[in-house]
Amino acid sequence: MNQFLIQTAWWVPAYGLLGALLTLPWSIGLIRRTGPRPAAYFNLLMTVLALVHCVALLNDIWDLPVLHIDMPWFRILDLNLYLSLQISRVSVGAAILITGLSLLAQVFALGYLEKDWGLARFYALMGFFEGAMSGLALSDSLFFSYALLEMLTLSTYLLVGFWYAQPLVVKAARDAFLTKRVGDLLLLMGVVAVSTIAGTLDFAELTAWAKTADLAPLTANLLGLALIFGPIGKCAQFPLNLWLDEAMEGPNPASIMRNSVVVACGAYVLIQMQPLLALSPLALTTLMALGAVTAVGASLVAIAQIDIKRALSHTTSAYLGLVFLAVGMQQNEVALLFLFTHAVGKALQFMSVGSIILTTSTQDLREMGGLAGRMPATTSAFVVGSLACVALVPLGSFWSMQEWANRFWLGAPIFVGMLLVVNGLTAFNLTRVFGLVFWGDPQPKTRRAPEAPWLIATPMVALMVIVLLVPVMLWRWGLLPTWSQINWTTVALLVTSGAVGVTAGGLLYLGDRRAQLQGNGWKGIQTLLAQDFCMEQIYRLSIILGVQQGSRLTAWIDRYIVDGAVNLLGFASILGGETLKYTISGQAKHYLLTVFFGVVLGVVCLTWVF
Amino acid sequence: MLSLLIWGPLFGTALIALLPAAVMTPARARQIALVVAAGVLLWTGYLVMQFDPNLPGLQFRESLSWVDSLGLTYQLGVDGLSLPLIVINSLLVLMALVATDLNLTRPRLYYSLVLILEAGVAGAFVAQNLLLFFLFYEVELIPLYLMIAIWGGAKRGYAATKFLIYTAISGVLMLAAFFGLSFLSGSHSFDYDGLQAQALPMATQLVLLITLVVAFGIKIPLVPFHTWLPDAHVEAPTPASVLLAGVLLKLGTYGLLKFGFGLFPEAWQLIAPGLAVVAVINVLYGSFVAIAQTDMKKIVAYSSVGHMGYVILASAAATPLALMGAIAQMISHGLISALLFLLVGVVYSKTGTRDVTVLRGLLAPECGMPLIGSLMIVGVMASAGIPGMVGFIAEFIVYRASFPVFPIQTILSMLGTGLTAVYFLNLVNRVFFGRMTESLAQLPRIAWRDRIPSIVMVVLVIFLGLQPDWLVHWSKSTTLALSEVNRTATALMLPDSEP
Repeated sequence: MNQFLIQTAWWVPAYGLLGALLTLPWSIGLIRRTGPRPAAYFNLLMTVLALVHCVALLNDIWDLPVLHIDMPWFRILDLNLYLSLQISRVSVGAAILITGLSLLAQVFALGYLEKDWGLARFYALMGFFEGAMSGLALSDSLFFSYALLEMLTLSTYLLVGFWYAQPLVVKAARDAFLTKRVGDLLLLMGVVAVSTIAGTLDFAELTAWAKTADLAPLTANLLGLALIFGPIGKCAQFPLNLWLDEAMEGPNPASIMRNSVVVACGAYVLIQMQPLLALSPLALTTLMALGAVTAVGASLVAIAQIDIKRALSHTTSAYLGLVFLAVGMQQNEVALLFLFTHAVGKALQFMSVGSIILTTSTQDLREMGGLAGRMPATTSAFVVGSLACVALVPLGSFWSMQEWANRFWLGAPIFVGMLLVVNGLTAFNLTRVFGLVFWGDPQPKTRRAPEAPWLIATPMVALMVIVLLVPVMLWRWGLLPTWSQINWTTVALLVTSGAVGVTAGGLLYLGDRRAQLQGNGWKGIQTLLAQDFCMEQIYRLSIILGVQQGSRLTAWIDRYIVDGAVNLLGFASILGGETLKYTISGQAKHYLLTVFFGVVLGVVCLTWVF
Repeated sequence: MLSLLIWGPLFGTALIALLPAAVMTPARARQIALVVAAGVLLWTGYLVMQFDPNLPGLQFRESLSWVDSLGLTYQLGVDGLSLPLIVINSLLVLMALVATDLNLTRPRLYYSLVLILEAGVAGAFVAQNLLLFFLFYEVELIPLYLMIAIWGGAKRGYAATKFLIYTAISGVLMLAAFFGLSFLSGSHSFDYDGLQAQALPMATQLVLLITLVVAFGIKIPLVPFHTWLPDAHVEAPTPASVLLAGVLLKLGTYGLLKFGFGLFPEAWQLIAPGLAVVAVINVLYGSFVAIAQTDMKKIVAYSSVGHMGYVILASAAATPLALMGAIAQMISHGLISALLFLLVGVVYSKTGTRDVTVLRGLLAPECGMPLIGSLMIVGVMASAGIPGMVGFIAEFIVYRASFPVFPIQTILSMLGTGLTAVYFLNLVNRVFFGRMTESLAQLPRIAWRDRIPSIVMVVLVIFLGLQPDWLVHWSKSTTLALSEVNRTATALMLPDSEP
């Protein structure tokens, strides 16, 4: 049993892909009579199988050392590409997290997209999504990971563009794809370079290679910078952060995955590449700088959002920034812990948000209010998810944040200050959202809001229980500090920052409704934040303008200069012929004379040249 | 055995063209053409099964003397370089025939021409005599010219003439180089094998090689000799576009590798850096121009210019792996561009326009064309190098193999995949996404005839992307042997540097 499960570990990603394949007859409209539901059931079944397989596998390998399975995929001359798998507690645990959340999100989607004609297509994409992600969790080869990241890019594009008839969605899908593609492209350059220089793309071998590698600083720095950009795009870090915000136009069940595990996938690859990055101090510094900028910037931007999903998605960027900082400081365990606690908390928040959006048919915070009494399960899910995301009470993120703070306490206390700011701002933001959505008087759209149907409520409540149990899990895994190890100073600081955020938010947003929305004289800053520090305009004025004008210029050159020269030549020869035809006399001697001069001219030219 | 690839289609042509019109109804002409093309494809499949991938040299050789005084002999043979291209040719001709409109005018002439084209291209790929190659190279030109000139779009006269003149110049230059090679080396034979070992002064070699590069560069096409291509594609009927992009462009790269690199390994070393730069220019120029286009066919045509640049890059690098990459990229581009042209053809025939500013929302489930749209997304993503499809692995081999030789050029040309994503994503977003406009709401039904060729292509693109062994299996020994020649040449030029 043991060996069998391990040898078949590659089935885990295959289940999702198979599920996607099985939905094809429904998603392309071959089978119409049954409606799209059977496709969804196939996918759910496959996800359950994947989850069960993972859990059994984890159970089996719990006490074993890290296993490495080589699966040769493509071998040609001196190029060997492997789809290697790493079977360890972390990788299988990550796969469980992914398949588990995917299962919940898919059940959720049954309720959320009940009346959508594209349900089968959605499930095909979700299966693909899940397969790619669980493959990424198990992958032990940079090549394989890169390939899967690209597949994630593709499926993100298609999932965001699910409702492709809406203009905003089309734009969001395009931006998501192209932004991630920029990162992927740089990553590909890095992959090609690494493969050439190190001669392998296997993470384990790369780690060994990196220890002895002696690269020129320039090469090492370029390499490191290229490698970090893939994860930067994937994790929505500055300057490739805007796509996540726009991607919130997509259907909510996909957002649950995107904000919790998809972004984490990028960071996960980053952690695996860490030994390579360590070759380049510049890359690590860049990583930390970008992480820090994103953490603070995105937390600020989140506060000014009026779209409920966007308000939360920016905090995702911010938290991933904290993860980047941890990776930059070479604290991989903290980074992984942080990813885990954030993923479950954020997934729960997004389930609750999905329930709200389905009931009220709006994403605008200003149109909501007073839902607390009407949707008890949704409300408690939001509260629990939010508490799990900030350090206030000892739920998931409290422990990861205090661990994070401990690791930075001695080395870089300034970052601890930053963590406090992010925590405080996030607590403020979540309180703000809570106040606007659940508190206050009901608005026209929330007046008749019933609780979500059971297909939505069940996964939500299940995940809520899991989130509440996270501290117990951490304790069981021995990840909680003992009583004496706790640094009470950081704990106090964290709790204070969270409390300050909540109090400030409560004061501003739990009071009289009209006061909150006008009042403050910070219009300028608010607009600046609401527009993401004008990032989009900056993009538009820099890279988009560059590509656009460059392509116009090239097209102009192509049409008028290159092709123009050709046409001119053609025109000249026709004109020449037309003109010369009037010199025709009909007398053979004239022709002979012309031919003679022509030959002489040709011979002279030839002798001149040689 | 190889002769059947040439004479089989010609026999079909004779049948279609010579039998009286009463017997040869349009439907029957189509049937015969399909049967012949399918037979050729089966025969190609049989050849592939019989082909021994472990042998580096030519297989299935045939040799007949023809015009001895000229040095023209009927020498045929196939190796790992030409075999995949022959497969693509046989496959795409069948697909192009399936995709042909049932109601086209002058069907007998049309089907005859397609089969002549198939014979000409197959002949060029198997010819082992330089003059014979030239003959087939020119034979292929005539049917395509007529296809554009008769069944083409509004500006077909201009496009067809432009195509004819460009390709004729390409042929003349090639012939000049072949003559120069044969006569200057004093062999007076045009057999490929006899010529290979001749050593000329380097200056002469360079002149001849550069002539050849320009000759084939017109066909590939290399910037700035490319402007015939977009015009020809835009005006050509869909099947002609499919064959032009899928197979005919490969004649250029095949010729470059076979006659340029194969006959002038020493001079190749000298021009390789320049060629790599040209490759980068091709990639970036083609991609940038493609971004600014609004005609779907033009976008795909310019993307061809860009993607053929990768073949040049790999050919310039000329390591065994790089040659492998060049072959893989030729196949990959053949499949993907054919797929894209097929799909654009369907869109055009149903909506009557290819303008991306007019088309909108074609993915709509009931009145649109969701399956064609889905296939288009697959094709576009394959072209943009998304893993799991053949475009990715081919390009990855190219990058990985060219990077050690030309690092900067490789990095620059990698930008091309990013730009590919830009123009193709814009295409899909504009044409297939969004809300369908009223004027497009009454589209004619799409027959399975329109879909099947694209579905076959998509299956192949994905299958070869997941199982790339099938892509390169046939060519390993040949590429090793080819680059062995190259290494010897390098060793000759730099006697001290080789250990």
